[in-house]
Formats: sequence, C-alpha cells, structure tokens
Amino acid sequence: MILAHLRLRRRVALLAAGVVDGDDQAEARAHVAACPRCREEYAALESVVSALESDPVRDAEPDLPVSVLIDRVQRDLDYAAPKTARPAVEWRLALPAAAAAVLALVLLGPELASRLVPAPPVPTPGPLAAVPLEVLDRLERNMAREHAARYLSDAQDVLLAVAATQVDCERENDRIDVGEAPDRSRQLLARRALLVESQPEAVASARTVLDEVELALREVAELPSCVRRRDVRRLRQEMDRRQLHMRIRLMTRELEG
Amino acid sequence: MEPSQEGSASDRDLMARLAGGDREALAPLMERHYQRLYRIALSYLRQPDDALDTVQETFVKAFQNAGRWDGSVEAGPWLSRVAINQSIDRWRRNRRRQATFAPFVEGDHDAVLADASPSPDQRVRRRELRDRLALALDTLPERQRAVVALRHHQEMTLEEIAETLGMRLGTVKSTLHRALARLRDAMPEELKP
Repeated sequence: MILAHLRLRRRVALLAAGVVDGDDQAEARAHVAACPRCREEYAALESVVSALESDPVRDAEPDLPVSVLIDRVQRDLDYAAPKTARPAVEWRLALPAAAAAVLALVLLGPELASRLVPAPPVPTPGPLAAVPLEVLDRLERNMAREHAARYLSDAQDVLLAVAATQVDCERENDRIDVGEAPDRSRQLLARRALLVESQPEAVASARTVLDEVELALREVAELPSCVRRRDVRRLRQEMDRRQLHMRIRLMTRELEG
Repeated sequence: MEPSQEGSASDRDLMARLAGGDREALAPLMERHYQRLYRIALSYLRQPDDALDTVQETFVKAFQNAGRWDGSVEAGPWLSRVAINQSIDRWRRNRRRQATFAPFVEGDHDAVLADASPSPDQRVRRRELRDRLALALDTLPERQRAVVALRHHQEMTLEEIAETLGMRLGTVKSTLHRALARLRDAMPEELKP
C-alpha cells in the first residue's frame, strides 16, 4: 500500500506537469481523488506549472534582427578560421610607413654618415634598402596602432552621439533622429576591416575592444535614421553593460603609447 | 520540426551543406531556428543579452561541428541540444563570475507584459510572480533547470527532452518531478495562481 502510494506520488507530479496519459493518467487521477495529501500536492504542483506556463519568456522575441546575428556568426567564423598566410600589407598603410622611413633617412642620414670612420667605398644603396627591416616594421606597427587609436576615438564619438541623441523625428512619435550615425558607422566599419587585415599583430592587444566596437557599430549601421527610443535605450544599456566607453578610452591611451 | 517551405532546402540538406563547409547554408538555417533557440536560451538563462550571445555561439558551434551530425536526429533537436549545452556553459561561467542576479524582463520587455495584462493590479501581480519564479528557477540544479525550460517553456515531450539532453526517459521523469517539487517549495503561497 505504502509502496503503491510512493510510486503514484511521482506520477501525480507528472500528471500536474501534463505528461501522463492513457491508463497511467486514469490511475493517477483516481489516486488523487482518493488521497487528500496527494490532492493537495497535485494542486500545489499544478499552480507551479500554471505559473511556468504564464512566464513571458515563452513568447519573448529577440531584440536583434536575424540578419545582424547572421553577420555576427559569419564574423566569428572568420576569426575562428586558421590563418594560413600573413595577409599582404595594405598599400594605404604601407605607403605612409615607407614615406616616413625615407624622411627619417633623409633627416638622419648626414649625421649618421659623419659618425662612420672611415667608410669603405661601397656602392650607394637605394634609400629604402638602407633602412633596416626591423625599423620599417616598427614604423609600420606604430602607424597601425595610431590608426587604431584614431579609429576607436572616432567610433566612440559616433556611439556617444547615438546614445545621447534626443532629437525627435518630425513625423513619427516616440522616435528619435540619429542623423548620420548609421552612415558614419558604415564608413568606420570599412576602416576597421582595413586596420585589422593589414597589421593584425600590431593591434592584437586591442582585438577584444575592436570586436566589441565593431558589434556596436554594426547595430548602429543597421538603424534607420528615425529610431524607436527603446532601440536606442537598449543600445545604450548594452554599451553600459559592456563598459564600452571606458574600455575604448583605456585602449586608445594604450595604443597611443 | 522540419519546415515544409516549397522551393527551399530542407534542414537536412542545409546540415549536409554545413558539414561540407558551406557557410551560405547558415543563413536559412538561422532564419528558421533563431527564434526557437533564442527562447530556449532565454528560458534557461533569463537574460536577453546572454540568450542572444548564446544563440550566436550555438550557430558557430553548429557550423564547426556539423561534420559530427550523423542524421540520426533531425537538425532541430540537434540544434536545441547545442543551444541548451551552450546555455548551461554560460550559466556556469556567470556563476563563476558571481554575476549579480537580475530577473528577466526589464525595461523594454515590460511592454510585453503590459499588453498581456490589462489591469495595473494584474500587472503588478504578474511581475511579482515572474520575479519569484525567476528566483526559484535560479535555485534549480542545471539539469533540472534544463528539463523545466524544455518542458514548460518549449512544450517538448519527455521523449524529445530525453533526446535533446541525451538522458534516459526515466531520468527525465524523475528530474522533472524533483524540479517541480523544488519550485513548489520556493514559490510563496500568495503568489501562486
């Protein structure tokens, strides 16, 4: 009798959960009807199940459009893919670096020459060949870090502007005008791709912050010019939660040396 | 689980393409399963941001591990399994970081409740109930939490839960029983419906 009660007690809980059917259900219901304690137990469990079934998470909608999530996943997979070869140096970054090296050679060349005693008669090399490779590398690296610092600073301007904007849209209620922020975000994203591809090692320490800034910019880039206040608020909350502005400031300082 | 959209590839076709390294197959698969997986992650984690991150991780894992999918289960339950495992991992990480608990539905999500509950009294009561429920769920061990999420938020059958979590049917039943008993003890009488 006691064993049968214990066996049926678990079934009563499953009955309340709505997962018992057929003969088992009939047996459990008969037991509930005959056992006052089990009836009480059943009512309490049923109320828990009812609370669970009115939980708003059941119908919650994601705040992020699926297209943005698809982009994020593709980007994660890009980063996860093994790098088989060092990407070619982007000419727009490499050219200023080479120019700086030439300038350094021109300015410092006579002084360096005067210190050479006595110089053997060797054929004069071309200007770039005379600059040691490690010096060129260092120059490239420093310039890439400066670019990254400037990029982060510009990105922060855009993100702060979006978060702080209070300009109402003319025609639509409860919407605010984020102006050129989506366009500027798209331009910044193009710059970001250039930065990371051309000198990945130079900006490796900034990678986490760069990635998070990229996510934030992608969200802004997806916005229409008239945005629901709640969407801007959610963006701001997300940036606050990630302490993005403080981390951008710290990283910018680090990159600037 | 399998959508029957004419002219579009089946989940199985898409999984096969993923296994072959075709990243283009991700987008249609994500469009079909995004919302469902979001709700699974949200019912487990109860934080919208964490749930979104978890869904993102789920699809990255799905692509990386698609080669291991042998077709013995449908893509939907397989993705659910990845999502719930990712949710459990994140929950553990959050615990380790001792993240401060914040109940689900803050700020913008209140609008959802406002629509569903006409009177202010009902709204207040629902909010209390929701917060207590979130706290009670937070006390459950991870497997119990997963079973409750899949059963009462996703309305999966016990068999589907067993398949998703890789548990035996009997274990799912006893886990559900223990979880409900624990929740019953954690919920205050006055807030029960």
